[in-house]
Amino acid sequence: MGANPQQYYTENYGTLGKIYIELGFHNLYSSWWFIILIGLLALSLIAASIDRGIPLFKSLKNQRAKKHPSFYKRQRLNLHQGSSRNTADVVEGLKKKGYKVKEDDNHYLFEKGKLSRWGPYINYFGLILLLFGSMLRFFPGMYVDELIYITEGETVQVPETNGKYYVKNNKFTIDIYDEESGTVYDNTLENINETVVSNYQTDFSFYENENMDVVGSAPDLQKVEDYSVQVNHPYRFDLFEIYQASYDNSQMKSMTFQLEDNDDKPVGEPFTIELDNPHQNYEVVDGVNVNIRAYAPDFLEIDENGALISETPVATNPAFVFEIFDSESSELSLIQIMNSTDITENNKYNVKFVENKNHWATVLTLKKDLTMPLIATGFVIFLVGLFIGSYINHRRIWVNTDDGFSISAHTNKNYFGLKKDINPVLRESGYDEILDRDS
Amino acid sequence: MKKTTRSILRVSIILSIIILLGVTLWFNLTSDKKTVQVGDEAIDFQLETLKGGPIQLSDVNLEKGVILNFWGTWCKPCREEMPDMNRIYNEGHDDYEIIAINVSEDEQQINQFLSSLDEKLDFPIALDRNRDVTKAYQVGPLPTTIAINKNGIVVDKKEYQLTVDDIYSFVEQSTSE
Repeated sequence: MGANPQQYYTENYGTLGKIYIELGFHNLYSSWWFIILIGLLALSLIAASIDRGIPLFKSLKNQRAKKHPSFYKRQRLNLHQGSSRNTADVVEGLKKKGYKVKEDDNHYLFEKGKLSRWGPYINYFGLILLLFGSMLRFFPGMYVDELIYITEGETVQVPETNGKYYVKNNKFTIDIYDEESGTVYDNTLENINETVVSNYQTDFSFYENENMDVVGSAPDLQKVEDYSVQVNHPYRFDLFEIYQASYDNSQMKSMTFQLEDNDDKPVGEPFTIELDNPHQNYEVVDGVNVNIRAYAPDFLEIDENGALISETPVATNPAFVFEIFDSESSELSLIQIMNSTDITENNKYNVKFVENKNHWATVLTLKKDLTMPLIATGFVIFLVGLFIGSYINHRRIWVNTDDGFSISAHTNKNYFGLKKDINPVLRESGYDEILDRDS
Repeated sequence: MKKTTRSILRVSIILSIIILLGVTLWFNLTSDKKTVQVGDEAIDFQLETLKGGPIQLSDVNLEKGVILNFWGTWCKPCREEMPDMNRIYNEGHDDYEIIAINVSEDEQQINQFLSSLDEKLDFPIALDRNRDVTKAYQVGPLPTTIAINKNGIVVDKKEYQLTVDDIYSFVEQSTSE
């Protein structure tokens, strides 16, 4: 289905189109350079995780509570008070706020939300998993997305299953919402002035082939079950799913003609020609026969020896040479859409077009995706990492009593929240509020 | 981390990424090029013929070379090369066989075409109604002609109208050991 991109782009855009095709822009996500870029992205993520993750792990693991007075002064939040009498109250107060304490003589380190620092690395891990999953899509047997086109009544092989399964389209249905259903929607349906589809459905029979040794040999089909697929209600077998995707009724199925005499009076009953496999002969009434002398599904021209030439095998512009014979005589006429020409002279009969019917074909998609669990897990981990990195704050507070009472604090984000942790504790212990260098 | 572990880790990560990338690219580039090519083993098939009765490639291929000609009545070059093929076929075909595989047309169309020819075609015409064989051989344009030697190996493939010389060359290649 569809045009060949190679041909299309070179014909319409010349050299530029050729470059476009060569670089794979028509199918960007599976072009070689895109895959290489993604691979390099994965490499940088892994390299960055190791290069920065290991030093970070070490520095967070071996933190010391003892810090130099100049370190205290460098922190954005710090405070020095003369008396160290109420230090124990501060320690208790901060413990109650959920801080973990590390003591070294009269030095204290309070810490909370260390996990925050791991957020980016969790995020990277999820991303790498996601990239790994999307890589697996290129591996054979992991990912399938194919169209299955079936005309009503036909049986076709299910692709990608090596001829093991067949599916027969028993009936394709389109239901529309009824304007006179007596519900609240009636008015709306009337106002929009067009039909609204309520259901696309294919009723099919699913078969397993018991004779799959040789390509082309008649399959020995055993029915597995009958099933109806609707949009979003797929049929599942093995690791595959069959979805209702689309439909087509543009292909002609049959044409009906009426034989008339020279006075435009009908002769006999109308006759119907099945375009996919037409009969040779139609007896319209006793003794009067219509014979198909030639038929072209997609009429192009008449060649020198009088045969009808078809441009394609698809019935889009059918033309017939009919031979009409009764007990006395026989005559020939060429019938095309909107046109009829007598071939023999003084014809007694006309063949008149009555109606044509189109095929109803359903378009299903065959899907298989074994990479989805991996991609979904990767994405969830990605989001969890993002959340941890964005909304958890790594807060650290240092306290010592070397020279009166000194406190300083640091966080990777949200100093306001940190101050709200510290200030009530200081106030209750009889100290001033902590100084914020930036406020 | 020790310097040696560091470099081992670095090299193994870069190597595994390169290998995975290579495998992915290889799968990606080979995924849509499954067409039967010269040097491949011919895929066995069984089809019904126009005269009735089955024809199986491996049966014919036991003792003879085989020329597969994929064609359709609507395809002008196919129509034009048929009489040439028939003439050369009738010069003798003891050690090769032509199978003209019609791609998914109904018998009415085929018979109509055959009766418009000046002479009757003597080689078997196989009916690939569901395009099973056409798909298995990944035949794109019509006509496509494939020569298979007695060992069941594809030795030539052309995707255009064959000249008389081409047909002789096909015959020669399919009958070679």
